[in-house]
Amino acid sequence: MKRTKTIAASAGTLFWIAVGLLASYGATRLGVGSITDPGAGFIFFWSGLILIVLSLIVFVDALRSFENTLRQLPEINWPKIALVLFALLLYAFVLEKLGFVFTTFVLMSFLLGCIQGAGWFRSFVVAGAAALTSYAMFELWLKIRLPKGILGL
Amino acid sequence: MFESLASLLYGFNIALQPQNLLYCFIGVTMGTLVGVLPGIGPTATIALLLPATFALNPISAIIMLSGICYGAMYGGSTTSILLNIPGEASSVVTCFDGYQMARQGRAGAALGISAFASFIAGTFSIFGLILLAPTLANFALRFGPPEYFALMVMGLTVVAYLARKLMAKALMMAVVGILLGCIGLDPITATPRFTFGMLELADGIGIAPVVMGLFGIAEVLENLGVQRKTEVFAEKIKGLFPNREDWKRSAGPMARGSLLGFSLGLLPGVGAIVPQFLSYALEKNLSRNPERFGNGAIEGVASPEACNNAAVGGTFIPLLSLGIPSTAMTAILLGALMIYGLTPGPLLIKNSPDLFWGVIASMYIGNLMLLILNLPLIPLWVRVLKIPYAYLSCFIILFCLIGAYSLNNSTTDIYVAIVFSVIGLLMKKFAFEPAPLVLAFVLGPLLETALRRSLIQSDGSLLIFLQRPISAAFIVFSIVVLIAPLFSHIRLGRGLSEED
Repeated sequence: MKRTKTIAASAGTLFWIAVGLLASYGATRLGVGSITDPGAGFIFFWSGLILIVLSLIVFVDALRSFENTLRQLPEINWPKIALVLFALLLYAFVLEKLGFVFTTFVLMSFLLGCIQGAGWFRSFVVAGAAALTSYAMFELWLKIRLPKGILGL
Repeated sequence: MFESLASLLYGFNIALQPQNLLYCFIGVTMGTLVGVLPGIGPTATIALLLPATFALNPISAIIMLSGICYGAMYGGSTTSILLNIPGEASSVVTCFDGYQMARQGRAGAALGISAFASFIAGTFSIFGLILLAPTLANFALRFGPPEYFALMVMGLTVVAYLARKLMAKALMMAVVGILLGCIGLDPITATPRFTFGMLELADGIGIAPVVMGLFGIAEVLENLGVQRKTEVFAEKIKGLFPNREDWKRSAGPMARGSLLGFSLGLLPGVGAIVPQFLSYALEKNLSRNPERFGNGAIEGVASPEACNNAAVGGTFIPLLSLGIPSTAMTAILLGALMIYGLTPGPLLIKNSPDLFWGVIASMYIGNLMLLILNLPLIPLWVRVLKIPYAYLSCFIILFCLIGAYSLNNSTTDIYVAIVFSVIGLLMKKFAFEPAPLVLAFVLGPLLETALRRSLIQSDGSLLIFLQRPISAAFIVFSIVVLIAPLFSHIRLGRGLSEED
């Protein structure tokens, strides 16, 4: 268990080392410039290097003392999180095609019914009310243009 | 002094216009609501409402958004007292004695003193703001790029120092924030940087979707499947007005809490969370009966509540006089000012006196509204707390999605919010704090410009930061803050509760 935690924490810091490396490498392609004439990549290059150094400090710290490195989230539900994220991505993908009201109704029904287990009838009612109320509030009252889609709503 | 009073009267003239009064009311009510509700905070709410304010004039918009900031401080204490769950991070300490008071049948007195302490401290901080902000803005006219760069470095270092976990982790997040904030066109050469050919990224990543992802959706994802028990006190809450003994006990702590909160709130990076812990510790040390603390001492409610409200007022000073946000919440406000076409900084007071004085006067009116409305509305907030979190979380997600989309009428911002929700969740899992990231994200482009201008100005000599006294003072302070943990295992932030 302890070993798994340490590996996970180390992997986390290795990710940031990779980000630092990518930022620094990308910066060299943009042109770091010089200290007298900093280029477009100047801030990225040095920030990337600082990120690598800090990540190494955290990495060493994670190896030395794994305690508190990983926060224990209460009953975290990864499959549900994956489902919600998939639903949100799908929502973003079809929003402009199918329109705000219909897409929002489907998303809210899914979140309430499938994810939160609110019961299907109640989920449909609440989702419908949420979609129509938010449409009225944002589109009609606040004049924020929401996508109409093929359904025109 | 007389000039400030005349300006304040001018501010009241603006703030008392019906439209501004309405938006002030909406702001403080929304603030109290999100303060009451665990799971969504003022930072995410301001980000959410930002697109809705585009149609308003900037003064009304900032009045409303500021109302959310200080309104949340009032609301946060309600859940702390009635549920032992802080509605806001800045109300954690109120749980210690507020909840105990509620258990002893004194929920009304706790809620009452909390509202009065908030009002008194809010008023105090507004007067501090009136006196200090114009003076500081005049002083800041002497600031050049090196001073600004050094000040921003100091702010980020202090945020990292106050982190609850490893300081290096907070600094990492600050660096990541700078990297993300600088994505887009180069401010000097207009070269696209890390845009990957996407036109939507040419203007950089928007602060609002980032905040919605990190603070809004990530919070919901973290709590998926968690059954939140909202056991609110069923008995009728009575005796909202504290008695003479309560006032006697609370007067000193309120005054000290206000002073401490305001002074610490002025410092870039401090915010409202740490000062309330310090005020609680101070009162406990000063008390003749320290054993009462944690067992329902009214001073333990009055002092931190005064402190967190005064601190919020304090955080507005660097924002309005220097254009430097000191917390994630004020970082969003800075973003809002920029979106409205205003240039935050020392010249804001001179160039937009209507905005500056109008917002300050509205803060006083808003505090008064909160005092008048909050006590009678407590039963309503208690009812709101009974809304099942399962429903609430779905609505938080929906509003985040709409908020993100409506910024530019583009689904790209929804994708950005989703990506940052995953990042936010992983940050929680790996104990990385989001506040330094958000602050650095906003400061990143300003910091880069100040750094490059300083280097061009000094012909590449880094000594420019040490040769000018103001920037040297900021840099020396930052270095002291950075190396302090090497010589001591005690760090302010480490003492903070995990749950805040």
